[in-house]
Amino acid sequence: MKQIGINRIVKRSIEPDRLVWVILGAIIIFSTFASEFFISSRNLKNVFLVQPIGLGLASLGQAFVVISGGIDLSAGAAISFMSCLAAGVMKSYPSISPVLIVLLFILMGAGVGAVNGFIVVKLRVTPIMATLATMNILNGLTLFYTKRTIGGIPRAFRFLSDGRILGIPFPIIWFLAVLILCYLILNKNRLGKYIYSVGSDAEVSALSGINVPQIRFIAFVIGGVLVGLAAAFLTARLGGGGPRIGSFYEITVISAIVIGGVSLAGGIGSLLCALGGVLILTVFANIMDLTDLNPYTQVVFQGLLLIAAVGFYSRRRIVQ
Amino acid sequence: MPPRDKYILEFRGITKEFPGVKALDNISMSFRYGEVHALCGENGAGKSTLMKILSGVYQPTAGELFYKSKKKVFKNPHQAQLDGISIIFQEFSLIRNFDVVDNVFLHREPSNKLGHVNRNEARRLTEGLLKELDIELDVNARVGDLTVVQQQIVEILKALSVDASILIMDEPSASLTDKEIRKLFDIIRMLKAKGVTVIYISHMLEEIFEICDRVTVIKDGQYIGTKDTSDIDKDGLIRMMVGRDIENYFPSLPGKQEKVILQAKHVSRGNKLKDINFELFEGEVLGIAGMAGSGRTTLAQCLLGIEEIDSGEIIINDEEQHITSISQAMDCGMGYLPADRKNLGILGPMTVKENMTLANLNAYLAWGFLKKHEEIKDAGSQVRLLNTKTPSIEHSICNLSGGNQQKVIISRWLLKKPDIYIFAEPTRGIDVGAKAEIYKIIRDVANEGNAVVLISSELPEIIGMSDRIMVMNEGAIAGFIDQHVSLATEEVILSMAVGHEYVL
Repeated sequence: MKQIGINRIVKRSIEPDRLVWVILGAIIIFSTFASEFFISSRNLKNVFLVQPIGLGLASLGQAFVVISGGIDLSAGAAISFMSCLAAGVMKSYPSISPVLIVLLFILMGAGVGAVNGFIVVKLRVTPIMATLATMNILNGLTLFYTKRTIGGIPRAFRFLSDGRILGIPFPIIWFLAVLILCYLILNKNRLGKYIYSVGSDAEVSALSGINVPQIRFIAFVIGGVLVGLAAAFLTARLGGGGPRIGSFYEITVISAIVIGGVSLAGGIGSLLCALGGVLILTVFANIMDLTDLNPYTQVVFQGLLLIAAVGFYSRRRIVQ
Repeated sequence: MPPRDKYILEFRGITKEFPGVKALDNISMSFRYGEVHALCGENGAGKSTLMKILSGVYQPTAGELFYKSKKKVFKNPHQAQLDGISIIFQEFSLIRNFDVVDNVFLHREPSNKLGHVNRNEARRLTEGLLKELDIELDVNARVGDLTVVQQQIVEILKALSVDASILIMDEPSASLTDKEIRKLFDIIRMLKAKGVTVIYISHMLEEIFEICDRVTVIKDGQYIGTKDTSDIDKDGLIRMMVGRDIENYFPSLPGKQEKVILQAKHVSRGNKLKDINFELFEGEVLGIAGMAGSGRTTLAQCLLGIEEIDSGEIIINDEEQHITSISQAMDCGMGYLPADRKNLGILGPMTVKENMTLANLNAYLAWGFLKKHEEIKDAGSQVRLLNTKTPSIEHSICNLSGGNQQKVIISRWLLKKPDIYIFAEPTRGIDVGAKAEIYKIIRDVANEGNAVVLISSELPEIIGMSDRIMVMNEGAIAGFIDQHVSLATEEVILSMAVGHEYVL
């Protein structure tokens, strides 16, 4: 059967890897018409270069975990926890090098990931229950430690979110560096192949000689490190350690990567598409803000968007 | 004792115990360099367990394994693979989301010290292997999109890419067409010429005699014997496997019944079914033969309401029925034994009892509560009736062998008591002994006055079981053979199935 041009374009644009960008484009076009403020350079910078960084980092982390067949509900709680702990350290040692603080975030993230991984792999608790438990534990520990925002962050540390190099916002630079590294690991490295493989079919992977528990554990640790970096960025941006800075972050992050086409069943999805999902959510939230939509209505719309995305992707799988 | 270096592999006193079961009992046997060695035995005899020990999935409870004259213990499949032992599992061990290249080199990706994968190298090697085997296959295709035989080729590529010295094939032909089996045999001969030892597990005796040099029989976890295939014939091999002669392999045909229970009139569906007309009588077995794609399966699915017919009528007990769902088909008195037992038949983790009473649960409910005693009583009597081998009715069905799983599924329908049984490939992948038992059950079902539709790719089965045979070709009925008038032969059926006139 011969297809005319427009049909082919439609067909191609609903291929999973493209769909996310098509939807994003549609929302951007809609937004430019819906509000004159949307295309102001200040707003564009905010929507594309500032807001997506924290969400983006946490989403990359979640993508690693979900593609390996797990899920991390503790991401938001971990962000609050790390933010407060690091802010406490900075308050006590105001002259501490920001590099050390970033290192601290990375280590804390890896630690939380390792704990999650240990519970899942060694204690054989399902990822959803294991991370639900660590979420509660981390939330409790954070509120035990502080109930209000810890200020007094050294100026040098805030360079992480507010700095510029040659006029380019610094967060974009290091975010891209992290993204490239993640891409190389997941798409070009053996480790990435095993993460996909374990997420697709753990039994088959084990038969091929892959150390399945080890890969699951590593995915949680990588995910944790990225959550740690997200916490570092958010802490710098807030200028303090917030005990609720990461509240509900895991829900937003999981929504974003699912909208980006990452399958919660594991084994399917790409980092770039996951970031596409992040951008869809931030642009969506931005245009609803700009048009003064009631915040509660906004949440309802986000829920609907999520259902539409999941519904579409599950249909796609049936068709395949 | 023969010089040890003659053999590539020796088992000495291999024993494997699972909780409550001795799966292998003191097995000693050996394999030569470059031979094709068949491993035979009824389902549950221990063939697969033995091969899993060889490939490192299991470790033996007792006994030793000598490989290339060295004592070895393979702790995991990866270790065995590195030593040149590859296994192609009955259920394929492929990642469906990955393409061919990624599957072939899974866990052995050509990569540098940092683990950066050199995909071009992997692709080049894969294409080289394909060329060596003279097979065309898109190496970038997603494995989940490939046909079964193509997936099998990927498995073979995977095995060859490690320079396997021993290649284990567990029921490789179970889901292949004749032409594909020929191709598989060509590949096996090529491997043999290269000095690879192939261990071939199969129930298909013809295949064993065609491709294998030697055959070893295992029964109930014990070694029975090894023979050159030139020194033994089919009957002898069956005797070794069953430990007894199977007489009356197929039960004899009874007198013909005359009451029509189901009638199809001008049934059509797209280009898959064209103007199908037939009658199904009470008490008969109607065999449906035909090549893959001839419309046999589509016809069954239309009868069952899984697919809808475009035109025509289906009349059951003198009433026209528009069946659009399986549950409606069940209400019309139909029971269905699907060909894909693993995916469509059994409910893996549930017990034998639950698997049996599932289709007829309403009969065991009183005020919404399950009448446990009746359930247990009926399940128990079914196990005895069909001679199902299970430790208890509370055992998970997934731990049973294929033949016994099939018996449980048959029990499910016997309890439901439909009037029309549709059996699709009822003995696929089932050992000889259980086959004979299942044939007897099918015949008993018909003798009790029920109608049976038997869809099978095995012509001896169709000929041995059917009162009448309906042969299909390209979605249409090519003809009927009434075996009460004259007995069919494989030749006649085949020539009808491929659309050639056959003159008697």
